Amino acid sequence: MSAPNDKPLRYKEEGNVHLDFHGAVNTTIDFIVKGYGIEAMHQIFKKVGRDVYQDIRQHLMEGDADELVKHWRYFFDREGADFDITVGEDEIVLTVRHCTAWHHVKKIAPGVSPFFCDQTSVTNTAMAEGTPFAVDTTVLGNGACTQVIRRRT
Amino acid sequence: MIPSDHFTRLYNEVFKFLETQGEEHVQSYFLEISKNQEKHIIDLIREKGFAGMYEYWAMIREEENCKLDLSYDEKKFELTMHLCPSLTKAKDNDAETWARYCDHCAGWIGPILDKTGYHLVYDVIDRNKPQCVLRIFKEEADAREAEKDVQLLMGWPGSHHA
Repeated sequence: MSAPNDKPLRYKEEGNVHLDFHGAVNTTIDFIVKGYGIEAMHQIFKKVGRDVYQDIRQHLMEGDADELVKHWRYFFDREGADFDITVGEDEIVLTVRHCTAWHHVKKIAPGVSPFFCDQTSVTNTAMAEGTPFAVDTTVLGNGACTQVIRRRT
Repeated sequence: MIPSDHFTRLYNEVFKFLETQGEEHVQSYFLEISKNQEKHIIDLIREKGFAGMYEYWAMIREEENCKLDLSYDEKKFELTMHLCPSLTKAKDNDAETWARYCDHCAGWIGPILDKTGYHLVYDVIDRNKPQCVLRIFKEEADAREAEKDVQLLMGWPGSHHA
């Protein structure tokens, strides 16, 4: 969909991975939803998509979806997820068969929040809002999903 | 998935939201995180004392890529953070950093130490620098004495200097 670039990711991380942070995300979602409602949680995720991932958003604004693809590939690899990415003429599809975050929380927490995957869907939507692309997430359950980048028509 | 590497930047956004709701909301969140953390550390402290604390933070040093020193003797456990990855990431951020980001650390550790009968003295030194010194004492009198030498003493929900 656009020419690949070799520049390092804005938030590239190295060294060990501390998966228990996914448990803290789950606790946070439960806490915010219980005390302030799902809309408050979504507002926070929207800020993550717009402000924290400002660099990816800027690439999308400029018509470059490859930065988001690089981000996906790097972090899903780094966390040992089972996934693949298909780059087509009209769309780029990330298929996650085993999400490390979801499965780690299932292992360490009493339950996975029903809103756990909103971190992905809402953040994706916010990142792409106002750009030439839409990023749509379909949650398939049990730590599986698809995330699709398409040019808006 | 927000990568686990990026949790601190989500954390930062949550703190900023809660601050708009009032200080008691921030404190309440610290307590929730503290409760969540109990499953990782409280049994180690109860069963092994300072050795359990060493075990926990040695694991954190590896998993979270921290530059820190750990030591303990009969009276005191000490953690000296030379480069905190959490604050470093919160500051290396396209979103604005919450000015009191460091407060969360004492915010979750303090209540666990209160529950296990230890006495925390948390010297944040400077909220803009990714360095701090955490000292944990068996005797309260030793902790009160140590508080006299800190640069920026951090409180937590329920602490005498919160």
